[in-house]
Order: sequence, then C-alpha cells, then structure tokens
Amino acid sequence: MQSNKILLLVLLCTYSIFTSAQTLSSLKGRIKNSAGEPVPAATAKILNTSLGAITNEAGLFVIKHIKPGSYTLSISLVGYKTQTRHIDIAGKETELTITLDDDLVTMETVMVTGLTAAQESNRQAYNITAVDAKKLYNTTLNLADALDRVSGVRVRESGGVGSNFNLSLNGFSGSRVRFFIDGIPMDNFGSSFQINNIPINIAERVEVYKGVVPIWLGSDALGGAINIITGNRYRNYIDASYSYGSFNTHRSVINAAATSKSGFTFQLNAFQNYSDNNYKVYVGAADIYTGANGGKFVFVPRFHDKYHNETLIANVGVVDKSFADKLLLGVTLGKNYQEIQTGARMESVFGAWHRRGNIVMPSLKYKKDNLLKNLDVTLNANYNFGTEQNIDTVDARFDWYGNSKPGGTGGGERSRSLYKYKNNNGIVNTMLNYRIAENQSIALSDVFTTFNRKGTDELKIEQDDAPKKTQKNVLGLGYSYNIESVWSASVFGKYIYQNTVTSDRNTTSTMNKFGYGIAGTYFLTKDFQLKASYELTNRMPEADEIFGDVINSEGNPNLKPEKSQNLNAGAAYAFAINSDNKFMANATFTYRKSDNFVYSRLNQNQTKLIPDNRDGVNTVGVDGEIRYSYKNWLNAGTTLTYQYLQNLQLYEVNPSTGQYYTTKSDLYGDQMPNIPYFFGNTDVAVTLKGIGGTKNKLTFGYNLLYVHAFWLYWPSRGTPSTDTKKVVPMQLSHDVNVVYSMADGRYNISLEGRNITNELLYDNFSLQKPGRGFYLNLRYFINKTNN
Amino acid sequence: MKIKFTLAAAVVAVALASCAKKENSEAVPEDPGNFIVTVTPTASTGVADYLLTASSLDTGRISTAGNGVEQDGTYRYYVTHNNKFFSMLYGQGNPGAVTAYNIVDGKLNKLTNFQTETVQAFAPVNDDLLLFKISRNVATPNSLWYKVNTNSLLITSEGSTNTLELTGTGELAHFSWLKQVGDKVYAPYFSIIDRTFATNHPNNAWIAVFNYADMSLNKIITDDRTSFIGRYFTDGLAVTENNDVYAFSSSVAVKDGTFNSTKPSAITRIKAGTTEFDQSYFFNFEEATGGMNITNWLYVGNNTFIVNATTKTEKGAYTVGSNVGIVNVVDKTYKPVTGLPAKATIAGLTTNNYTPKDGKTAYVGVNLTDASSWVYKIDASTATATKGLKVEGGVITAIQHLD
Repeated sequence: MQSNKILLLVLLCTYSIFTSAQTLSSLKGRIKNSAGEPVPAATAKILNTSLGAITNEAGLFVIKHIKPGSYTLSISLVGYKTQTRHIDIAGKETELTITLDDDLVTMETVMVTGLTAAQESNRQAYNITAVDAKKLYNTTLNLADALDRVSGVRVRESGGVGSNFNLSLNGFSGSRVRFFIDGIPMDNFGSSFQINNIPINIAERVEVYKGVVPIWLGSDALGGAINIITGNRYRNYIDASYSYGSFNTHRSVINAAATSKSGFTFQLNAFQNYSDNNYKVYVGAADIYTGANGGKFVFVPRFHDKYHNETLIANVGVVDKSFADKLLLGVTLGKNYQEIQTGARMESVFGAWHRRGNIVMPSLKYKKDNLLKNLDVTLNANYNFGTEQNIDTVDARFDWYGNSKPGGTGGGERSRSLYKYKNNNGIVNTMLNYRIAENQSIALSDVFTTFNRKGTDELKIEQDDAPKKTQKNVLGLGYSYNIESVWSASVFGKYIYQNTVTSDRNTTSTMNKFGYGIAGTYFLTKDFQLKASYELTNRMPEADEIFGDVINSEGNPNLKPEKSQNLNAGAAYAFAINSDNKFMANATFTYRKSDNFVYSRLNQNQTKLIPDNRDGVNTVGVDGEIRYSYKNWLNAGTTLTYQYLQNLQLYEVNPSTGQYYTTKSDLYGDQMPNIPYFFGNTDVAVTLKGIGGTKNKLTFGYNLLYVHAFWLYWPSRGTPSTDTKKVVPMQLSHDVNVVYSMADGRYNISLEGRNITNELLYDNFSLQKPGRGFYLNLRYFINKTNN
Repeated sequence: MKIKFTLAAAVVAVALASCAKKENSEAVPEDPGNFIVTVTPTASTGVADYLLTASSLDTGRISTAGNGVEQDGTYRYYVTHNNKFFSMLYGQGNPGAVTAYNIVDGKLNKLTNFQTETVQAFAPVNDDLLLFKISRNVATPNSLWYKVNTNSLLITSEGSTNTLELTGTGELAHFSWLKQVGDKVYAPYFSIIDRTFATNHPNNAWIAVFNYADMSLNKIITDDRTSFIGRYFTDGLAVTENNDVYAFSSSVAVKDGTFNSTKPSAITRIKAGTTEFDQSYFFNFEEATGGMNITNWLYVGNNTFIVNATTKTEKGAYTVGSNVGIVNVVDKTYKPVTGLPAKATIAGLTTNNYTPKDGKTAYVGVNLTDASSWVYKIDASTATATKGLKVEGGVITAIQHLD
C-alpha cells in the first residue's frame, strides 16, 4: 500500500519535472596521456559546482546539465599532474580533448597507478571489495566463481554447472546476503538467472558489500550484499565468447550494444551453459538389488546431472536525453533444465527426477540525474511471469552404478510430481538522491517486492491450494557527508514491512521492523584508509525460505526474522618499496550479535535443507588481503578469512512439546556446525606483452583455493574422528590458465585447467564437486569508442 | 607493517574466539564395552543419533560430548540380530538405509551400509531381517518385503503382498510389527482407510500369517474381543518359552480424531501349535489396572513383561506410557514398578530396551524433563527400579547388547 503511494508520488514528480525541463548543455571530453593512450578513471570536475564525472575505459567522460556560462574544469588522477582549464559552455554540447602529463614525482612516491572504477568503489565509506570483472573475461568463470576469490566470501556449491549455491560473507550466508544487478534486487529472478549461471562477462565489476549495505541498495540484507554492475562501458560493442571443456561443457556469451547518435540504444546479453556434469564421484555405493558393496567407497560417474540454460536479456530505449539519462524497456527471457542426481546428501541418488524453469520478465529502467536541480531519480521495475516445474514421475530407485529397480508402489523417486508453479513475483525499486551541497546528500529508497506462488499438479486430484504469499517493503533514508580523500560518513534508517500468508497459519502475519546504522571512512593519508560501521539490522524470511524450492530446500513457514547488531572495522593501505614493487593490503574485523540467527540444517530425513533459527549466535571474524605487483607483468595476491560463529542459545526446545527445556543446552557455546570458518585464496598472474606481435599479450595465471575442514554436525558431539563423525574435509584446489590476447584484446584464446590435481572437493557434506577439468575459451571483442 | 597489522587483527580475533569458547565441563571418557546406548542430542533437530558403548548399564556415566559414532538420519531404528547391531534409517518418502555394526574390543565397527526402501516393520527371522514397506494408499496397495541375510549382509530376496486384498474390506492392512513363530511370520495389523490411519473396523484384531520361505499368505487369524494388536511401529506379540504367543491390544483405533473402539486394552493368547486365538484366555488390562491401556511391552522371560501404560486421560495413539508395571500373563497380574522418577519429571521412556531374558531383569531408558537421562534397572521379581548408568548429552533412544 505504502509503496504504491510512494510509487505514485515518484510518478507525479517525474511528470511535473518533465514539463519544467530546462535547456542545459553537456560537456564531452577525451583524456589522453602523453603517449596518446586513453586515460581511464580520471576525475573531471567543474569547480564550484556539484558536477563531475569519471572517465571510462576509453578515456571519455560526459558531464551533463550544465547551465551555459564560464567555468573551470579540473582533471585529476593519481600519477598525473592535475590540469585545470577554463571552459565556456554554450549551445547544446561542448567537446574537448585534454592531454595529461605524467606526474613523475608522484609516480615515485605514490603507490597506486590510478584507480579503476573497481578501486574507486573500494574508497566508499562502506566496506566494499570490488571485483574488476573485466580481468576475468577470458575465463569460463561465472559470477559465483569470481566471488569465491574475494576475501571473506565463500561460495558453496552442491555440484557442477548449474548446481545450487550458497554464498557466505563474513560468516553470514543464505538470504542475509542479497544480490543485486545494477542496484535492482535479484530476489525474483527464478532459477534461469542466478549468479551460478550468469557468466562473468555480463558484469563490468562486482561489488561486495561486507556488513552495512548502503541505502541505495534498498533491501533487508543483513550480512552484506553483492551488486553486479553490468557493462555499459561502451555505446557500441560486441563481445562474444565460446568455451568447450570437460564433462561436455559448452558455454557461450554474447554481449552487444548499439547506440545511435540520437541516443537510441539497443543492448543485448545472451548466454548459454550446457554440461553433462558427468564427473566421477567417490561415493559409498551399494547395489540397489542386493546391497552388495555395502557402501564401500568407489569412483562412479554422475549419470543424471545434465544441466543447461539459455538466457537472453534485451533492452531497448534511449540514453542521454533531456528527460532521461537512461530509459530502457527490456525483457529477460530464459529457460533451464536440470536433472537432479541427489538429494541434499549424496546418499539419496536419483536417476530420472528433473526440473525445468523459465523466466519471462519484462523490465523498466529509468534514470535521470538532476531531474530537479541536484535531484537524481532512479526507478526500476520488473515482473517475472516465469514458470517452474518439478518432474518426478518414474517409480524406481537408482543406485550409484546407474541401475534402477522398479518401485512397484506407483510413487515417484521422492514424491510423484508434475507440480508446475509460478511465483508471480515482482519488484519496484525507487531511489531518490538529493545533493544538498557539494559534499552532502540525502538518499531515499524504497523497494517493494511481491511473491504469490500458485501451482497445480496434474497428477493430483486434490491440489495444494494453500496460500503462499508474501509482500515486503523496505523503505530507507540515508544522509552522507563526504570530503573526498579525507573522510566520509553515512547514517541511515530502514523500515521494513512484511506481510505473509501461509498455509500453516492460514492467517496473515504482519511484521514491522526498524533498523539503523552508521558507516564512516577516514583517510589517514591518501593511501591509508580506515573504515568502520555499526548497524542494527533486520532481515525477513525470504519467500523461498518460507515456502521452499520444491526440490532440495524445504520451506519453514515459522521462520522468524533475524535481528543482528553488526560492527565492522577495517583498514586498507597501499605502499611501494620502489617504483617496481607495489603492495596493497586490507583487513577487516567483524563482530556480530544475532538474535534468531537463521541457519540451514538438514531436515528430519537429511534429504533436504531447511532454514531454522537459533536464539543467539555471535560471530567474530577477520579477513584480509595482500596484493603485490612487480612492474606491470607480475601480480599476486592472497586472501584469508577466519570466522568463529558461536551458538549462544541457552536452552533447547523440546521438539515434542515445543517448550524450552529448563536445563542449559549441551550445545551452548559450541561452534556452529556446517559452516566453513577458515579459508583462503592465492592467485598469481604473469603477463608477457608483445609476444608474437606488439599488440599481443600472453598471461599465465594460477589460483589456489583452500578451505579448512569443518564438521557437518555440532562439533562437541561424537568422537571427533573422521571415521565416526561426518566431516567436510579440507579442500585444496589448484586452477591454472593461459590466455593469449591478440590485437589489443580483440581476439582472445585461453586454456583453463580447473582442479588440476583432481582433489576431492566438497562444499556441502558428501556433495562432491567436479574433479580435474580443462576448458578452451575463445573470445572476440570489438568496440567503437567514438560515438 | 601492514602485514603486522593483519596478523595482529588475526591474533585478536582468535583470542576473542577462544575466550568465547565454552567452559569445558569435565570430559566424560569413552566407555568401551558390549552395551550400545543410542542417544539423540537434545538440541539437534535434524541431527542423528550417536551410538555410545558402555561397559555396564548398572553404573557409570557416558556422554555424547566428544564420544559416539554419528549416525545419518534423524529417525533411526535399531535391532540386534546374529550378534550384529543394525541401524535402520527411516527416510519417510525417501530411501531408507541399513547400517550394520559389530563390536570389536568394545568399540563399534561398521560392517555395511546400503540403501533400502524406508520400511515400517522389521524383525529377525531365522538368519535374516525381514523388512516391510507398507502401503497407505489404496491406489497402490502393494506392500514390499525384503529379506536381508545377516551373515552375507545382502538383500537375498524381495517381493510384495497386496495389503488391500488381504483385508477384503476395502481398507488396507498396516502391519504393526512382525514376529517369527516357528517357520511362520506373524504380522498383526491395523486396518486403515488411508494415510490418516483412520478405520471403520475398530473392534477386531487380525494377524496375517505368512509362510516365511516364500512369504505366501497362509491364513489370517482374527479375534473380535479386542481392537488391533500392537501399534504403529510397536511389537504387540511375544513368544514365551513354551511357544505360546501373547498379544496386546492398546485399543487405540481412531476415526475423525477420536478413539472409536469399544473394546478394552487387553492381552490375548495363541496357544503353541495352534493358529487361532485362545478364546479361553483373556486378560482385561483396563479392568486390572483401573482403566489404563498398554502402549508398549518388553518380554523378559518366564511369562513376565515390563509394560508401559497410559491412563485414560493420557491415552494417545502414539503416546508411550510412563506408568510402568510388571505383568505376568499366566497369572494375569499387574504390579506397578516403584523406584522410577516421579511421572511429572519424566519426559519420555525409551521403547527399545534391553533384557538378558532371565525372567526378571530389564534396562529401560528414562529421559527426564530436566534433560538428564538415565538407564534404570527394573527387577520384575520385586517390581522395583534402580538408577543405573547416567547418559549425558541427549535422549536415550535404544539400549542394546552385543556379545
């Protein structure tokens, strides 16, 4: 209701502003260095105004909405001498080219050779790590793989291509961490469009917010957020890649955009993943007829794990118009097919059960800076008409040898089903940002989401028509003060409203929660940054947590919202021993006190996972990263994360009565089970330029992933030996890759080896991930930088 | 310098974390032995039992803290046969599993683990375990059986029986349990309309008699003096030393959520060598106890049973009675057991208990509302219970013994 009003308000504002649009000018600039190469990430500012911009990869910037008149333009970037220039703005558009001189003195003493947009994000008050996705374009990584290399982040997958994933961020996992694409919550995108099937090439960079999430990413995220910034770097470009590799894995991506001089634009992202996922697993197998082999461990191939998805995102609209910087109508179309090899544990093996899903999601994206003076408006909306279906019609039991045995009871493999459903989810996301002055701004954001699952099963006479509905609105207000390169701070409040109708209660349950927080950063020197934040935050149960995913996640309609007090403190420092040896380091300390901590546990039969609450959990964690570069051909880094999650629920609940026991829990003070708590990542890349041509480049890369062993169940219970207690063993995975780029990156060919030592890798108990795999990746990229 | 900072932060965090670690209550050492006590940790919904060994049930202390073999699956049921301990996973709609152990030097040693269907009844027959997956749906009336050889630890044969045709009433027969009697398998059943377990036939007892060799149906024994024999997942038959078969009825048939049997909870008999209820024998348990009904029993030998019972107000189709007494089926006597904790403090009694079958002794798990658990030794000859082994860190779900 409330959000509808806000939406209406926004629309009214929008309308009134259109009618009063003024004739303003824009300034386009091209920044080069002394060698004539474009300079990205330079800051262009019109002094004594709030106007400014940062140059893109092509060294271009645009500053819009300038009133005609005389100004001073300043161009600055670390490593270059700052230039100021007098400009006269008249007419519709002014263009200029500026050459920056190298600041040799600065070069000697300053550590970073220029911030890319990714690094720029890192300088915000929030604790952000930005992954520069462009560096990974010649790999076959998906977004989940890329995120897995960030300190504090652990992506747990349940198998190969397309398998379920769960991302944990500084000890928070599941829906505490929310995903956004260009600031739009991805909550309702369905199975066809998720970070485990979106290729990295879709993104320009990926921002990882640890702890406090800025207000403009309006949501009830509690532990952090991932924001995927898609590429609109180029107005006209084609980026196409195809890879083929082990387990019959094919992946293709095409990204393209065409923009006319008049601002009419068409953007297309299309991608496809296909894999048989028939890698070998080491599993306790037994003959389905006789029980022979008795669960002794053998290597057998996965035989029912094919996955493929095909997705197309098309946007059409206008850019750089007086009424809109961007107005895009788009649609995301996609489908996916997934065979289900196992339950939540590899003990239950399936041979015919599968699921299908599709996404049909129209969307609207509108953005206009200075709609009114100093007021920026963003409006996004989408609605997913997609359908999901769970197909379990074969009455048989399978064993790991692929043998099947008829069930004879007319059931399915787990539960006979042709259940087909729509989640009917939609989202409206509105953001207003008002700059009070050059260094102060207020942001108001509102996100409204709706979910209403409806489905039928043609195999059933009695349909499950119990309501499965939830609506949520998150309203946020924030204020930030920023003195560039000295300090900045933000305070904010969030009001969350959720209304849920479930079969269990069959009544409407309404929850209202208020949260607030503060985040700040201070630059001791230009290269030594301190960050701290505190937040009281609430996160509501997500639709999938309340209603389940019909496959291996069971819904919990009684899940309570989690409330948490989060404290983060961190520091980042960049330094150089000399001009050749440069270092960058950062570290974050995290303390969290959570009530009704939501964690994922196995259900009664250990066949599905179900979200549940713990009364109290405390988290203490540190994570850090060190990067080193030598000249411009060697780059190496290590991230390390340690987090201790402690159960502080004093009394357990008697499952038969629902009442608390009166004696202290045996698990009080125990470490939370089934959560990775010590892990790290090391990468080394060597780039050799001018191999086989001056515009060619050869890169060798190595990546090591380490995850310390952790117990599946409470650590204090049972004999702590791997023979008698279920453990997710220590994992060590080595990935290598070679990339050869020709013609300044127009043609790229890469060979990738993943898990080359063929280690047994498990993120979830007994759910083994792929062994050694090799992938060949071909990529073609072309862009036209001038309009 | 930066590295130092990172290290310092790490040290601080580790220090904080270790400060926060639980104050260790003195650890209870492992207790190797030939008794197996299975324990479900109090706190752990969705977590399986731990199998603990104990050298004695009469004294001592064992704990799941740092001890025990972790099991898979919350619903585990246990049976001992051929000197092996079988842990059966009840997977509801999902596959079940059979995990077998023996004891070597006082420690459990895993022998096999293989998938089966989830079964609702299983019992030793000859050298086998007979497993039954029982239908609850008239549209799919085949109930499946499996024979697991306890020497080879393999499924040696399987088949099905139509449990709808078995009744001839349009309701399904749901075996409460299975019992070997000679070369036959007696399968007492309750009649169900569907998965709600409601019935229109609350006033009859039935036992399906199978020839074990081929599992063909031999005959159905009926009795109209009681309601059905046994209960869901409960063994309602016992064979005494002279091969008489005794049966109890709880009288807990239901329809529309209410008990609909007019028959009392009672004990009946099938004389050795016959396959009919002995109409001359009837022990009206309700009458003998002032209105209680039997929920479970344990045959300790010499015509003597340890009986769990509920009062009229406590009565429930799945409730395990906390009133414990001694029944002599020949004498038709009932004597309450003294020495157990007050009923109000009992959270639950274990139903899978151990007896050396000496005619008087049973070891019964007692789980108290203060979350402590004990093994009590019951002496049927004196009808007294004495506190024995203390079990920490969970609820006792079974007490077994291997040689």
